[in-house]
Amino acid sequence: MVLVRNLRPPTEGVRHEEANTTAVLSGQQLGCGTLYVAETRLSWFDGSGMGFSLEYPSISLHAISRDVSAYPEEHLYVMVNGKLDLGFLDSSNGDEEEVITEIRFVPRDKASLESMFSAMCECQALHPDPDDEDSDNDFEGEEYNVEEYGHADVPTFYTCDEGLSSLTQEGQATLERLEGMLAQSVAQQYHMAGVRTEETKAEFEDGMEVDAAVAEAGQFEDADVEH
Amino acid sequence: MVVNSIRERTIAENSMVVLLQGLQGEVTTVDLRDESSARGLVLNVDAFMNIRLKDVLFLDRRGQTAQLQDLFITGRNVRYVHIPDHVNIMKTMESQLAKIHRVRNFAGGGRKEFGGRKK
Repeated sequence: MVLVRNLRPPTEGVRHEEANTTAVLSGQQLGCGTLYVAETRLSWFDGSGMGFSLEYPSISLHAISRDVSAYPEEHLYVMVNGKLDLGFLDSSNGDEEEVITEIRFVPRDKASLESMFSAMCECQALHPDPDDEDSDNDFEGEEYNVEEYGHADVPTFYTCDEGLSSLTQEGQATLERLEGMLAQSVAQQYHMAGVRTEETKAEFEDGMEVDAAVAEAGQFEDADVEH
Repeated sequence: MVVNSIRERTIAENSMVVLLQGLQGEVTTVDLRDESSARGLVLNVDAFMNIRLKDVLFLDRRGQTAQLQDLFITGRNVRYVHIPDHVNIMKTMESQLAKIHRVRNFAGGGRKEFGGRKK
């Protein structure tokens, strides 16, 4: 975790920028400024050069608080591991009781809270714990990269029905394309010299329709993937 | 289950985090390293044990409660995750592993993804 003065805001990898955001550090109001949720760090600056930056590994948790009985305004709550004040950061605690710092980012536009929160989630995921003792991250054999084979726009995999509704338009199109390819690849097995076997339709338990006319006949000619 | 990378799938497949991933949709309590705790609905757990909860009752280490709409806990700060009594641990893990294998087979066709290490 780094606390600095007179540093410029990050310009690259900024997932979310929120102006008119008040920062409250351990209960102390720092004034109004701009929050930068960047991939490398979380920063806030008040426009006069004063501000601070946090490294993601130092952030224990973050949350959206809409409970006005706990704090009068809706805000983004961030719990930082270590003691942070405007002088310097002291995280040299070692084995002592964990010291934490609470920071609240109160945007003027409350509707931005979800984006601010999501951006932080994404950036946190980019910084997994390097000290993780249980990391079985050593791979055996070659890593197969799905993305090399033209499925580059499939960043996430949903395998349950609920996930389908979360697909973006691009994701939906990709899913349809992949399903189409799967249907065709299965259909290929039953297309020999243009003759269609009767068993084709009966084989598919899930009722998936197989289009007899292979729309893209040459699709799999070059493929080195076995179906 | 949202899996963002092959690496995450491998990590999940080879560790108990698959059990936590199977808790998606359940309401549970997560105890943090600093003695605070959060109880809410599990939205997602990734391979690094980062946990996303919603509609959370947060009990800080001083004993004060606060309601949080959305909460993201860094994996590093998780001490315990309570498994609800009604959850069948073995079945949950088996079904999570099956999902991982389904994704791998669908995406890979006849090509093998690396097998990973079985614990």
